[in-house]
Amino acid sequence: MRADGPIARLASLLRRLAGMPDYAAYLDHARRCHPGAPVLSERDYFREYLRARYADGPSRCC
Amino acid sequence: MVVPAGSGAAFQGVAAKLKCDMDMSLSKVRPDPEVGKQVAGGAGRDGDLHSGPMQALLWLAIAIAGAAAWAVLALARGEPVSAAWLVVAAVCTYLVGYRFYSRFIAERALKLDARRATPAERLENGRDFVPTQRWVLFGHHFAAIAGAGPLVGPVLAAQFGYLPGTLWIVVGVVLAGAVQDFVILVASMRRDGMSLGRMARQELGPFAGVLTMVAVLSIMVILLAVLALIVVKSLAESPWGVFTILCTIPIAVLMGFWMERWRPGRTLEATVLGVGLLMVALVAGRWVAQSPTLAPLFTRSAEELAWGLAAYGFIASVLPVWMLLCPRDYLSTFMKIGTVTLLAVGLLLVRPVLHLPAVTRFVDGSGPVFAGALFPFCFITIACGAISGFHALVASGTTPKMIRREPDARLIGYGGMLMESFVAVMAMAAAASLEPGTYFAMNAPLATLGGSVQSAAEVIRTWGFSFSPEQFETLTRSVGEQTLLARTGGAATLAVGMAQIFSRAFGGELVGLWYHFAIMFEALFILTTLDAGTRVGRFMLQETLGLVWKPLGRTSWYPSSIVASLLVVGAWGWFLVQGVRDPNGGINSLWPLFGISNQLLATVALCVATTVLVKSGRQRLAWLTLLPLAWLLVVTNTAGWQKIFSPDPRLGLLALAHATEAKLAAGQMASGLARQVVFNAYLDAALAGLFLVVTALVVLASAREWWRVLAGRTPPVVSETPFVETAYAS
Repeated sequence: MRADGPIARLASLLRRLAGMPDYAAYLDHARRCHPGAPVLSERDYFREYLRARYADGPSRCC
Repeated sequence: MVVPAGSGAAFQGVAAKLKCDMDMSLSKVRPDPEVGKQVAGGAGRDGDLHSGPMQALLWLAIAIAGAAAWAVLALARGEPVSAAWLVVAAVCTYLVGYRFYSRFIAERALKLDARRATPAERLENGRDFVPTQRWVLFGHHFAAIAGAGPLVGPVLAAQFGYLPGTLWIVVGVVLAGAVQDFVILVASMRRDGMSLGRMARQELGPFAGVLTMVAVLSIMVILLAVLALIVVKSLAESPWGVFTILCTIPIAVLMGFWMERWRPGRTLEATVLGVGLLMVALVAGRWVAQSPTLAPLFTRSAEELAWGLAAYGFIASVLPVWMLLCPRDYLSTFMKIGTVTLLAVGLLLVRPVLHLPAVTRFVDGSGPVFAGALFPFCFITIACGAISGFHALVASGTTPKMIRREPDARLIGYGGMLMESFVAVMAMAAAASLEPGTYFAMNAPLATLGGSVQSAAEVIRTWGFSFSPEQFETLTRSVGEQTLLARTGGAATLAVGMAQIFSRAFGGELVGLWYHFAIMFEALFILTTLDAGTRVGRFMLQETLGLVWKPLGRTSWYPSSIVASLLVVGAWGWFLVQGVRDPNGGINSLWPLFGISNQLLATVALCVATTVLVKSGRQRLAWLTLLPLAWLLVVTNTAGWQKIFSPDPRLGLLALAHATEAKLAAGQMASGLARQVVFNAYLDAALAGLFLVVTALVVLASAREWWRVLAGRTPPVVSETPFVETAYAS
């Protein structure tokens, strides 16, 4: 699966829609903004993402 | 909570990020923020497309189509009306409201600026601050605000007929609900994603901040109790439903292990697996219900289910997020968006006839579904869908941190709420497409209907609706249930309506499967809300307890988590169990209480929104939020007052307590039950009183602040994050 193919783009769209972590987008961000800094592994990124996202409690409505 | 193993690397990342942000902001700070405001209404850019004569004609046509559809709905008396008219009337009104009203708000009141960098851009971290394409964020925000509320409220309000509820859903959202969501979303976006509570503290002072927190916590308790009660009412004595819903728990845990342990980060994979297993569980449910050995195992009384739900809520809120909450979140998001789309397509294909009258005789307050006259209770019963204070929490939560460009907030905040309102209209259409007899047999309490279909037929005929016990029995069997009588709470009614639409649109022989699909869809995200709401309540409680003794404030410390969770679950569990035992079905008293509390939270949000407008020097436009605020104050205060003091024991809680005490004294009622009813009536009355007092205080605190700013005693300081120009190409 190519990183910028249509399937990858659909997958990325669905992830954003459901508020799921998007590792590829994170890597892209890390490369752009923190060149040279250590990058989290996919598992660590996932954990870190959940921690940040649900830190104040999840936002869900009635 | 999960402590990330690689937190060392993460912290280095954070430090680097801070530097990155500093560099960005330093390079882009503008000395004069006013310069940016001259191009206010980057939102207006798309306005250029709409300004030609052809566009004017198009908007005229939309307005005329909408007005015509409303006329058909309002003038129809007796002749069959298609649900398509509801949809046309609603959609045309939304389009006009979005195009003109929301644009006015965006350009004049909020001055959205495409050149101003959003927090998602400035603070981008690849986690919560992520610039997101606006249609994707629209879907995400919609999934976060839409839950059971917009589905259940309209079904209950259908006892007045389809017209009053629909009018309020559509007019209310354009002038009130969407405005609230939009203004709060922008206010939070301009403050780096600050929460409603913190904005209240910042704009109105610490006292109002504490009051807001009290309001949020108490509405949360009522909300969770009433939602849990809806699930209980739709699953009691239903082995198929209970089996399917029980299966969602191991499925979610399996997904959790999949994406945390076995295939780290593969959330989509896990979700596809989960949705597949859900469908298997749905089909297997029928087989369980038909099995003589298994069916009794899953046939549970309402009270057993209530205790089960309370236990579930406790366990779920203590477990790590990845194990249950997060996978449930993903599952219910996709199920929600999928099913809502399916319902829209089904409605378009089937265009069912509305069998319920436009207006019923129950507008006088004598209705069996809930007590109270059209004014104010129509506006209380339909909270979500027209305006919901709860949305202010979501609009000041994750969404503002993901907006890519300021003008996108219009589509996401205003447009997202219009979408929720549309869900409410579809729920109304589904309920109104049922025969009135069926509707009232499912929604009146058992105490009113008597224990059998025959006795129910007698009662329903006295209300002037035809009802055939044989047809009702056939319907009950076709959806695979043992009884549909007095399935109060709206979920089952909606499921029957949806099942009829789905089976006519997509497959005629599958009514039972579609019914349980609809029940599963509703129960799935109600359980997600229970789980999430208990956790939020627990965090808030721990924050408060932490003021007393520090360790109690640590959300990752198990003893503190367990104590706080028990307290929160105990609070909503109490109302839930009482609701189940209530001879009038519980929904009767709990739903209006929920409506009042939700609308009161909306008044708090609108107070904050008005304050933001006044302090930013746009007090001339404060009517945008003052108008809905005034209406909600009238509605909630009238409803709250009637709920507490009405002399009619069906409506007034104090009158109910007195009437029950009299019955107890006369020996007409078992003393245990009577004492419970009396105690609950006093408790509910006290709660309603608390809601009213808290809101009155917030309104007074806000009015004082407005007066001080307008009188020149307080400088009109906007506490927004300073202007930074965007680095994105326009």
